[in-house]
Parts: sequence; C-alpha cells; structure tokens
Amino acid sequence: MKGRLAALLVSAAVSFSANGAEPDPLESPLWDYMRTQFIGDDAYVFDDRVKVGLPEFAEDPTQVPIMVDASALSGNIKQIITWADLNPIQHIFTYYPHPEIVPRISLRIKVQQGTAVRAAVQTKDGVWHMGGSYLDAAGGGCTAPSAANSDPYWESHLGEMKSRFFAKEEGGRYKFKVIHPMDTGLVNAIPEFYIQQVAVRNQQGESLARLELSQPVSENPVITFDVRDKNQKHSVWLRDNSGNEFGRDL
Amino acid sequence: MFNKKALTLSLLLSVNTAAVAAPLTYDLKPQKIAENTWVLKGALEDFSRKNGGNIVNTGFVVTEEGVLVIDTGPSLKYGEEMKAAIAEITDKPIKYVLNTHSHPDHFLGNQAFSNSDILALPKTNEQLALHGDAFAGNMYRLVGDWMRSTEVKLPTQDLKVDKLKLGSHQFSLMSFTGHTGSDLVVYDRKTGVLFASDMVFFQRALTTPHTPGLDVWFKEIEKLEAIDYKVIVPGHGPVSKDKDSLKQMKRYLLWLDETLIDAAQKGLSMTEVIRIPINEVFPDIKLTRHEFIRTVAHLYPLYEDKYF
Repeated sequence: MKGRLAALLVSAAVSFSANGAEPDPLESPLWDYMRTQFIGDDAYVFDDRVKVGLPEFAEDPTQVPIMVDASALSGNIKQIITWADLNPIQHIFTYYPHPEIVPRISLRIKVQQGTAVRAAVQTKDGVWHMGGSYLDAAGGGCTAPSAANSDPYWESHLGEMKSRFFAKEEGGRYKFKVIHPMDTGLVNAIPEFYIQQVAVRNQQGESLARLELSQPVSENPVITFDVRDKNQKHSVWLRDNSGNEFGRDL
Repeated sequence: MFNKKALTLSLLLSVNTAAVAAPLTYDLKPQKIAENTWVLKGALEDFSRKNGGNIVNTGFVVTEEGVLVIDTGPSLKYGEEMKAAIAEITDKPIKYVLNTHSHPDHFLGNQAFSNSDILALPKTNEQLALHGDAFAGNMYRLVGDWMRSTEVKLPTQDLKVDKLKLGSHQFSLMSFTGHTGSDLVVYDRKTGVLFASDMVFFQRALTTPHTPGLDVWFKEIEKLEAIDYKVIVPGHGPVSKDKDSLKQMKRYLLWLDETLIDAAQKGLSMTEVIRIPINEVFPDIKLTRHEFIRTVAHLYPLYEDKYF
C-alpha cells in the first residue's frame, strides 16, 4: 500500500515537472484527457491573460456566446485551440491569427451539458497558455435538430452572408453572419453539414486569419473579429464539409 | 470505537431523514386586495428548489354565482393548495379558471381544477399544446420534488369573448401580445382591479423568451396606462394602487431597447453585451442581471440583424 502510494506520488511529481503546471482551476474530470488530445505532452501554463468570455449559464444551449481574447499575447501567437470538455464533439475551433489581426474573436456555440470551455493559446516558443471558463447549461444543444431542419429557408439561401465594419478608436471590427445549418451529425437521419474553413484576406489576397471550425459552432454563425488597420479592405472566404465555397468582400 | 461510529452514523441518518421528511408546502396565504378579491403573492425570485416555483401572483374573485380563478401556479401541489385556500374563504363552486398565458408558473396547477371550465386565449392554447410538456419538463429540472405528479392539463376551451359576467362582477377580458404573443389581462369593472398578468412585472425584472418585441410591449403598456384602474396586480411583484409599475415597465423596456440598439450599432458581440452594467441602472428591480443575460440571448440576434 505504502509502496503504491509512493509510486503514485513520484509519477505525479514527474508529470508536474514535465508540464510545469498546476491542477485544473476548473476541476473538470476530463481535463487531463482532453488536454492530451489537443496539445499532447507539450508544456503548458494556466494564464489569466487568455480570457474565455461566457455567460454564467446557457439560456439557449444551441446559441451560447463565447469570446476568446488573447490580445495580451498579441504578435506572439502560433495558434489558438478551443474546446468544450463535456461536449460530444469537443473541438470548437482552431484559430491562426496574423499579427495584423487582434487575437480576439466572438462567435456562438452549441453545448450538450454544463462544461468547462477552454482556449489553449500556443505562443511562438511552443508553450501553451491555457484559459477557460465554466458554463452552466440544461443541455441538449448538440443533439437538437437545427432550426433549418424544419424550415427550408436555408436551401435557397445557403452561404448568404451579411457583414459590417465597425470603426473603433484603434483599428476596427468586422462582424459577419452566414446562413448555414451547421448540422452536427449527432441528430438521427441528419448528416453532418458544417463550415470547416474560414479565411480572412487582405486586398493583396494574403490570408490574415485562418479559422478551422467544428460542428459545435452554432447554426447561421455570427463571427466577430478585430483588425488593427482600419484603412485596409478585407474579404472573407469559407468552405463547408460538402465542398461548397462562399466568399464576400467585407 | 466502532460502536461510537455506528451511533454517530445512525444519529446523522435520523436527523437527515427528519429533514427530508418535512412535507413541502407553499403555505399560501390569500391577501384580500379589494371587495371579493384575493391575491396569492409569489416571491421576487427565479425558480428554485427552495421556492418550489412560487414566484408568481395568482388571484381569485368570489362572486354570488361562483369563483373566477386567475392562473393556477407552477405545480399540481400549488393548484391543490390554492383550491384549499379558496375553500377556506368560500363554499361557492369554482366556475371559471383563466390561464393568462402559456408560461409554466401560470398553468401547471390546472390539474387541481379539472372539474371547472379552464379558459385561455386561442393562441395561448396553441402555444400550450406545442410547448406545455417541454415547460413542465424544465420545471421538474428547476424545482424538483415540488412538481411531483404534475402533468400538463390543457385549458378546456378557447376564450373567444371579451366580456364575462359572473354574479354582480363584469369582467373585461383584454388580449395583448407583449410578453408571450398572447397575453390575457382581466379588468374587474365592479372593483376596479386590473389583473395585468405578466404584461406587468413590478420590482422584478421582466422576462422575454417569447416577446414579439420590446417596442410592441412598450406600446401595449401605454394602453394599460389608459385604463382607470383602482388596483393593479402584476404577474410578478407587489400589488399597487398607482401607475408606478407601468412607469417602471416603460422605463425598463425603453432602456433595454435603446441599450440593444446602441450595442448592435457599435458591433458588440453577445458576450460583451451581457456585461453592460444594469444593476446600477435599476437598483429598485430584482434579478436584472440574470434576466438581462437571458434577454440578450433571446433578442440580441434580431438587433444584430437590423444593423448589419
């Protein structure tokens, strides 16, 4: 008994030093497992500068607003991976922001139950900076049929986009909305059908931000992101898992 | 050593059992607010396992020809306790039961009144048929054992008249839409009591999951202001004799509308909007923060759509 305990302590000590990290502040049962899935054995730290903004509870589990703000690490970011520990499909999006883009993004997601929602920000030195918040929810968001499923509106409007630029004191903000069912594939007889790729480009066609979306992003996604240069013109391009491509000047 | 532990354990168990075994009761106490007219006042809270869903004002009017009941509360238990409370005041039969709208705290006590005619506006009946079971299920989740044996008992009839005479009481039945798309307001011409249902919340933040629009609601509050009532019973909040509750409603609706327009024009995301300070703006209203978060979820996408 004593021997086993000692072995356990040693292995715990080893794993702590390998990661250089404290226990999960959100005390999620799936923290270790999900972390390994997304960042493997990489070094990580919990970092208050990575903010995951959520309401305290999900009024509508099919449309939960989330804002990931890593602007404190601006210019030093390789990628941002977000996930919800207890969703049946955990991955929400992976974001690759160019330094021209403020690494702050808002959209809405589906949740299946109360869950920790994470943002893992990898800086150029390879270290992951972990942020997260807990969301309380009655649940069912991922296995509810999309509204599109009972309303044929989307069929003739698929990929239609609205967008607007909002000038701010420094830089500006884009908000756009695209008509898409974003079906998770978890509802009986409704195959998965969702936007997988989003890219924001400048006038020269350079990609300034790349987003890889997963099924938990809400139906008819509304995405908000901030740019530094308000005088640049930008466009957005999207592709779904059926190969449909949509684009628009912002 | 072992025995001591067992003794402590059994003591703990017996204390626990006693606590659990205490019967749940709403302890409803009808308050007389006018001649022949009583109100059962709910807490200015959100649904919880502590209040059993009793956050609502229900009422009844005792006439020579029988009793008119206005809303039946959140559960079978509430309905039964309400019926018993009425029986302590009168032995007249319960002639009509009205469900003012389709929200769960106003109709889930219907089961207790299965011998009476239960009436609601036609659109309310449609909404209840569609969403009633989902509402009931959610109430089991929110308040637990208080809901025991509660099932959806739909109204028995569509309310198609705008006047109802019972004994010496003439009731005007007014159809509004601001809160749920189908909201019944009852005005007793004899006593001047206006049962405003959830068209009016007073000192408790209004809820918006099914409103057709804050502007629609605002205009209908102006219509209520034109009524020369003596007493107003809001769906949630204290009974009063003046127009303060309507003034508060207008101020709150206007603030919500203007705040959401301003946020949409600035391009705020939903996450940013829910952080806009509100408690400070309405220190006299309970649950503003909680309900504002809900309202943003219900309505902000529509405001965003307008300002793309």
